[in-house]
Amino acid sequence: MKWTLLVVAAALALGASVVLGPAAVPLGELLHSDIVWNLRVPRALLAFLVGGSLGVAGAALQALVRNPLADPFLLGLSGGAGLGAVLAIALHLSGPWALPIAAFVGALAALALVYRLGLIGGAALDARILLLGGVAVGAFAAAITTAIVSLADAVELRNAFLWLWGGLSSASWDAVLVVAVYAPIPLAFLFAASRPLDLLALGEEPAGYLGADVAAVKRRVYLAASLLTAAAVAVSGVIGFVGLVVPHVARLTWGHRHRVLLPAAFIGGGALLVFADTLARTVVAPRELPVGVVTALIGVPVFALLLRRWTIA
Amino acid sequence: MQRRLFLALVVLTACGSPARRPAGQPARRIVSLLPSFTEILFDIGAGDRVVGRTTWCDYPPAALAVPSVGDGMPPNIEAVAARQPDLVVLYNSGPNVTAARQLERIGIRTVLLDLNRLEDLGPATRTLGRLTGLEQRADSLALVMDSLTSTNVHPPPPSATVAFVVWDNPPIIIGRGSYLDELATLAGARNVFHDVAAPSSQVSLETIAARDPQWIAVLSDSAEAPAFAKRREWRAVRAVRDGHFLRLRGSLFGRPGPRSGQAVQELRALIERSAQ
Repeated sequence: MKWTLLVVAAALALGASVVLGPAAVPLGELLHSDIVWNLRVPRALLAFLVGGSLGVAGAALQALVRNPLADPFLLGLSGGAGLGAVLAIALHLSGPWALPIAAFVGALAALALVYRLGLIGGAALDARILLLGGVAVGAFAAAITTAIVSLADAVELRNAFLWLWGGLSSASWDAVLVVAVYAPIPLAFLFAASRPLDLLALGEEPAGYLGADVAAVKRRVYLAASLLTAAAVAVSGVIGFVGLVVPHVARLTWGHRHRVLLPAAFIGGGALLVFADTLARTVVAPRELPVGVVTALIGVPVFALLLRRWTIA
Repeated sequence: MQRRLFLALVVLTACGSPARRPAGQPARRIVSLLPSFTEILFDIGAGDRVVGRTTWCDYPPAALAVPSVGDGMPPNIEAVAARQPDLVVLYNSGPNVTAARQLERIGIRTVLLDLNRLEDLGPATRTLGRLTGLEQRADSLALVMDSLTSTNVHPPPPSATVAFVVWDNPPIIIGRGSYLDELATLAGARNVFHDVAAPSSQVSLETIAARDPQWIAVLSDSAEAPAFAKRREWRAVRAVRDGHFLRLRGSLFGRPGPRSGQAVQELRALIERSAQ
C-alpha cells in the first residue's frame, strides 16, 4: 500500500511536470512540442535523478555518521563545488560544460580532503572527524570563494552565487544522459551495502561482532554517497532539504531496514524534487523561484507533521 | 604597521579643513561612486573637480586619469576619505546609505541619488548642477535627458521583439523596472518581458522559448556569441538557434546617463542592420 502510494505520487509528479509549465502547450500538441521534448522532459528526468540521488546519499550518510542532521552537503562538498564554479567563471573558462566540470572537480577535491582528514583516526573513518572535517573544509572553501568574488572585477561573478543556490535551469538531454550513466554506479554500491548499514546502526563494535567489515563498509559508503552528491551538485547546484528530510520521512514510514529504506528514499527524493521544480516554474510565472526555496517550503512542514505523529505514537 | 599609521594620518587629515566647507558653497573636490554620475559631472563641466571614481567609471576617457577608490560595492570609506573630498555622490541603495552616514560622521558632505530609470536622469543632473554651481549647463543637459522620456515623444511602433538576457544559469532577464526596457521601447523594439514589473527576474528557459523574441540582447564587449549559445537546452529558443544576438557594449548600455540618447540610436541601428 505504502509502495503503491509512493509510486503513484512519483508518476503523478512526473506527469504534472511534463503537462504543466509557464508556456501554454495544448494537450493535443504535447507530443510534438519542442518546449516539452527539449526542455520539460529532460528537466523532469534530471530533477528525478538528482532528487533520488540526494535522498539515497542523505540516508546512507545519516547511517554512516549516526547523526540525524547529516545532509549530503554537510561534508564540505557544496563549498568545494562553489569554489570550482567561481574559479571557472573568474578564469573565463569557456565551453558549455566548463561550469559543471569545474564544480565537479571542486567537489571531488573537497571530498578527497575530508576523506584524508577522516583517516587520521585510523582506517575506520571516524564519524566525528568526518563531520567536523567536512564543516571545516566547507567553510574554508566558502571563505576563498567569497574572497575571489569580492576581489575580482567581473560583475558576473556575483551571479555565480545564484547558480550555487541550486536549480535545474541547465537541464538538457546531455545532462540527463551523463547522470543516467554515472549515478547507477555509486547507487549500486550503496544498495549493495544495505545489510552492513543496518548492522552499523547498532554501533560499530556490535556490527563488527556480527560479521561486518566496518572500516571497509564505511569507506565505501562515504565515497559512493559523496560521488553521487558531487554529480548532483555539478548539474544542479546545491539543492537543500531533499537529502535531509526525505531520508527521515522514509525512515519514519518504512523503518530502519536499508534494503527498503534506500529505494524509498530514491523514489521519494525524486518525486519531491520533480514536484518542487514544477511549482518553482509555475506558481509565480513568468518569473521562477529558486527550487531550493520550494523544497524547503514543502519538505519542512511534512517533516514536522511526521515528527509530531512519530513522537506521539 | 607603518602603513596603517600612515592610513590613520591620511584619514585624520581628511577629516580636517576642506571637509568643513559650508553646505551652500559649490563642491570643489568630488568623489563619484557611480559611472553614470561621473559621466554627468564631466558632461556639465565639473570633470576637473572629480578627484575620485570607481573602477567601473571608464567614460569619458579623461575620467580614467582620476584616481580610483575601488569598485564602490560597498564603498571603501577610508579610500574615499583619503581623496579629501568635500562632496561624495552615491547611488541610493542600502549599503550606500550606511556608507554615506559614515562619511557624514567624519564631516564629508554626501548626496544619495536615485538612478534606476531614464526619468531619474533629469533630476539627478539638476541636483549635481546645484551642488557644483554649474546650474546652467546642468539644466540644458537635464532638458535633453527629460526629452527622452517626455510624453510628447512618440516612440516608433515596435518593429522587433527582444529579450535582454543578463545571466544564463539560472536565466535572468530584464523587466519593465529597468531603463533597458525603456531604451528598447524608444528604439522601436518590444521587450517580451515588459509584463515583469521588477528590473530583473529569474525566469525559466521555457518562458523565453514560448515568448519567442526575435532577438536576444546581451551586454557584452566581445564580438562572439555568448557561451550559452552553445548549450543544448538554449537551442530550444528560436533566436538562439538562428544566432540572433544583439551585443550591447557595456560601457554605453550598462548604465543610464548622458549618452542614453546615443544608446537608443545605436540600438535602433543595430536592429535595423541585423534585420537585413
